[in-house]
Amino acid sequence: MVDYLWNTQSPLQKALVPGRHGAAGAHVGVTLNEVRDIVLVQVMARRGKAAEAAKAAKKLFGIEAPATPKAVTGKAATLIWSGPDQFTVIAPRADEASQLAAMAQVFAGSASLSDQSDGRCLIRVSGPRGRDAIAKFSSLDLHDLAFPVGAAANTSVDHTAVNLWREANGADGHPVYNMLVFTSFADSLWHTIVDASLEYGVEAASARAA
Amino acid sequence: MSGYSGSEPLGRTAALEGTPTSARSQAASASQSHRLRSGGLIDRQQPLQFSFDGKVMSGFAGDTLASALVANGVKLVARSFKYHRPRGIITAGSEEPSALVEMRSGARKEPNTRATTQELYDGLVAQSQNRWPSLRRDFMSINQLAAPIFVAGFYYKTFMWPAKFWEKVYEPLIRRAAGLGKSAELPDPDHYDKAWAHCDVLVIGGGAAGLSAALAAGRAGSRVILVEEDSRLGGRLLSDGGEIDGMHAEEWVRRTTDELTALPNVRVMVRTALFGVYDGGVYAALERVNDHVPVPGPHQVRQRVWRIVAKRSVVTAGAIERPIVFPGNDRPGVMMASAVRTYVHRFAAMPGRKVALFTNNDDGWRTVEAIQQAGGDIAAVIDPRGKVPAEYQALAELSDLRVLSGGVSDVKGGVDGVRGVVVTDNNGRTQQIDADCLAVSGGWNPNVGLSCFHRGRPVWRDDIAAFVPGDSPKGMTTAGAANGEFSLGACLRDGHAAGAAAAAECGASGNAGEASEAGDEVYAISPLWQVKAKGKAFVDFQHDVTASDVTLAQREGFESVEHLKRYTTLGMATDQGKTSNITGLAIMAEATGRTIPQTGTTIYRPPYAPVAIGALAGHHRDENFHAWRLTPSHHWAAARGAVFVDTGLWKRAQWYPQPGEKDWIESVTREVLAVRNGVGFCDVSTLGKVDVRGADAGTFLDRVYINAFSSLAVGKARYGLMLREDGIVMDDGTTSRIAEDHYFLTTTTAKAGPVMAHLEFCRQVLWPELDVQLSSASDQWAQFSIAGPNTRKLLQELVDPSEDMSNEGFPFMGAREVKLRGGVTARLFRISFSGEIAFEISVPARYGAAMAQNLMIAGRDLGVTPYGTEALGVMRIEKGHVAGPELNGTTTADDLGLGKMMSKKKDFIGRVMAGREALTAPDRQVVVGIKPLDQKRRLRSGAHVLPKGAIPGPETDQGYVTSVCYSPMLEQWIGLGLVERGRERFGEIVRIHDPLRNEDYEAEICNPVFYDPEGARQRG
Repeated sequence: MVDYLWNTQSPLQKALVPGRHGAAGAHVGVTLNEVRDIVLVQVMARRGKAAEAAKAAKKLFGIEAPATPKAVTGKAATLIWSGPDQFTVIAPRADEASQLAAMAQVFAGSASLSDQSDGRCLIRVSGPRGRDAIAKFSSLDLHDLAFPVGAAANTSVDHTAVNLWREANGADGHPVYNMLVFTSFADSLWHTIVDASLEYGVEAASARAA
Repeated sequence: MSGYSGSEPLGRTAALEGTPTSARSQAASASQSHRLRSGGLIDRQQPLQFSFDGKVMSGFAGDTLASALVANGVKLVARSFKYHRPRGIITAGSEEPSALVEMRSGARKEPNTRATTQELYDGLVAQSQNRWPSLRRDFMSINQLAAPIFVAGFYYKTFMWPAKFWEKVYEPLIRRAAGLGKSAELPDPDHYDKAWAHCDVLVIGGGAAGLSAALAAGRAGSRVILVEEDSRLGGRLLSDGGEIDGMHAEEWVRRTTDELTALPNVRVMVRTALFGVYDGGVYAALERVNDHVPVPGPHQVRQRVWRIVAKRSVVTAGAIERPIVFPGNDRPGVMMASAVRTYVHRFAAMPGRKVALFTNNDDGWRTVEAIQQAGGDIAAVIDPRGKVPAEYQALAELSDLRVLSGGVSDVKGGVDGVRGVVVTDNNGRTQQIDADCLAVSGGWNPNVGLSCFHRGRPVWRDDIAAFVPGDSPKGMTTAGAANGEFSLGACLRDGHAAGAAAAAECGASGNAGEASEAGDEVYAISPLWQVKAKGKAFVDFQHDVTASDVTLAQREGFESVEHLKRYTTLGMATDQGKTSNITGLAIMAEATGRTIPQTGTTIYRPPYAPVAIGALAGHHRDENFHAWRLTPSHHWAAARGAVFVDTGLWKRAQWYPQPGEKDWIESVTREVLAVRNGVGFCDVSTLGKVDVRGADAGTFLDRVYINAFSSLAVGKARYGLMLREDGIVMDDGTTSRIAEDHYFLTTTTAKAGPVMAHLEFCRQVLWPELDVQLSSASDQWAQFSIAGPNTRKLLQELVDPSEDMSNEGFPFMGAREVKLRGGVTARLFRISFSGEIAFEISVPARYGAAMAQNLMIAGRDLGVTPYGTEALGVMRIEKGHVAGPELNGTTTADDLGLGKMMSKKKDFIGRVMAGREALTAPDRQVVVGIKPLDQKRRLRSGAHVLPKGAIPGPETDQGYVTSVCYSPMLEQWIGLGLVERGRERFGEIVRIHDPLRNEDYEAEICNPVFYDPEGARQRG
């Protein structure tokens, strides 16, 4: 009997080449990270059950689900608004089956869940010139006043849908943006993001979600 | 006082001041016969070498190509468009109509570059255009002899007949003769990009008014972007100087720039020209990031298009000095008075040694002092108003100025420029004046281009004899010279007020401070558009439109300014008539006896200034033209040498060539036979996948599909067809019931997006009362079709032994989760597109590559063969399954042979409209099979189907071939087609007519299911 191995492959398998790219120099302008191994579930309230779904979210994650375009971080998960009565849950993948089962249990009857852990790829853009790079492919106004920490948007990049939200500033004091892109577009959008960043100097890496 | 650095002493005050400080700059000075010894905003420590038409010259950092040419005494720089007349530099700004050159060489060659905006860099190479064999001896200038026939409407009058000559003879001939520069015809090696910027207040133009506006808005605390097309801020202050707040204008510019730069809420963008105003406060600007260096640095772009979103904008784009139309006004050395001052003051370059000035307004008189201070001679001032303006009387007396009342009626000279100016005074007497430069000022036109982009009509002001902005686009105000405020003091006040108001409207509450102060010089003008005299007098220098062309257009009935523009091409060149439009319509006004405002202006449209297509494309060129999508097994397939095809945005494996195969047909045939005789697999992850959940999911699907889904048992799949509201087929696919309240719907690859949008519309708008939740799961799953008689054997290898894979345990159209060996759970669907026993298997996308590998392992002993989209297509045609070419937006369910699927027990989208007479007519074109009688004959899609023996034509046309393939099972080409009454005509011989490929042959209409029509194989 043959042993079947089920090695996993990131959609950025080929596109992401770890290390420095673009303009040389002492400083890295843009840091790009693929955040791997996430559990990502779309939570859609059943008809008329939005309040119950919100209560269930509070129970499981200890935080109110966002009702406007925002990202909030609760117990071991970030909840990102994705539409009316909808939000996306992102958590580092630990025991995937039990993570999904726990959600299925708590949202039973109040929301439909769609596992999108493989349907999206999470790309993090940070560094002193991260915002300048994003300005080349996103029409969003990312100024601190317009897009503070916790702001989120459903937007489009290269004519394809992207969820973008801002988390707490990095250790270097610069803003950190997360982009959730469709898996099949990840290779293409990664190229777009890298091309936009090259003039500032890029450091690319992938890391497990934490 | 300063003087010339050339060997020849010039003028009477050629004092030598300032000494070059390095050997290189001393050498650099040698060619610069017209460079002043001191002054100017140039860096004499940084000499730069450049070449024009192969001649090496030098200039300094801070020069434009035009100012360096002026400094080198070069007057002839171009040949005109139509008559190939010698032309020089007319302006010092972006409105330049004449001094267009070809920049750089090879793949970087860029034609029609304005020498006046091109910054000089070391090693710059420029060529003149539109001349042969050389600029001085241009053979094409014989066109001038034929000038009487090259009048307005020349093409329309000359190339009218014979009509068939137009495409083949006239147009190529005209195209060859026309145009100025030649494009590179090689791929541009440089990069361009696009970016967004956002602000409260966008200030357009960084002169006195713009700096004032930006400072006020910035101090008030609003987010400000100031764009300036020039490489430095200051506008006319850099050329005309003046005193602001008791300091020299240049010092004020420096301090203001410093303060703006220090404000964190202000962004200053130089070398950035605003070119478009769009809805919703979106503005477009072109940043020439690296046009001032030979080659952009590593990872740098040459140009960048900015889309700026602003709540408010303040246009402080200044004004453009207008020429006066008189014979010889296009001679090299005839220059706008303001440009003369710019070259002298900003660039320390003298356009001439003896300068004559022709002005109808006070501002032109500034030129006298500028020339005199630089040590030049004023040969004469020609002012039709007949008296010296009060402000300049002392100067005129002191310097014993020769002032003539009248106008310039001719300019003497040749390719080397002006030698003399003929003046006809107000009494009709003529005299000639020696001069090598003629400075002209016909007054100033506020730059209304940007403020008129939303069909705003400018408003005429008699006091300045010019148009000012009328209805500006929403959120836009205008200040300073762009608003008709010509004095420095007024510009500063107006700019400040506009900036402060715009900031306040955006909610900024900070202190905008006080406006800077300067004097209010008088601007008096008597309009003079044209001096009527014998000889060619140009209105539009770039398109060679003369005053007589305008009056000819009027005589021939083209009186409307829009007709005038198109008939004469006035204002249609790359400069968009910045120096010519108003003058042209003033001449038209006179010819028709109307006023200028009655005559009106043409519509202003973006782009305000030329923008390279490369800049508009930005990153989106070559392989980045559009985004692409990769399947989960893409890299696996690439490693196996798959040939990929673009299907929409997807890259799909089309076939997998093997060594020794001579063409794609051989590869595809091998893949088909491997499936039909054994087993193969294909990545079908590109199919759209939608999770439909909720208590009412079944009801929802009953309404969107023509057939029932609420009756589908859990664990089963069903083929479904959905219609558009108008009764035409929208899409098809299989949908499975995973749980009571969970269906998994699939769509075709092409319609994944539109179907998802349609379903969301149904859910949110049509039936919000249903408990349904939708999510696109297209990218979540890697999905493979496994097909062929050995499919079950292969799956038994891969699937956990506890799973029942028998025909009873997993019947046709079964759908359920199965455990795979190695610990992964998959969804398995027993559905077939190929007509063989087939399953589609889905695993989370992260396992897609592993799945392809494991299918190869599991099927190794069975000869498992990966196949591509071509083999997939061949097998579906052999089975008569419809796909994109048949689901083409014109066909009904019945056309596709699926009419019986339309449920009569329920309502569904498209039901009523599908019953329309035309959609149920008996003579509709329906799907049939088509086989050429000659079995060697290659059938091609798109060929027409006619009755046997019919003469081809619209009356006899009965349909066409939609899909074709070489069928390995039938060993001949077969196809599907849409043919009138096709299903009644199986066995009939028809004529296949293909005029596109010059083919004509006979074929038989047959059942579209060519292979295994009973369908026994897929159920076995």
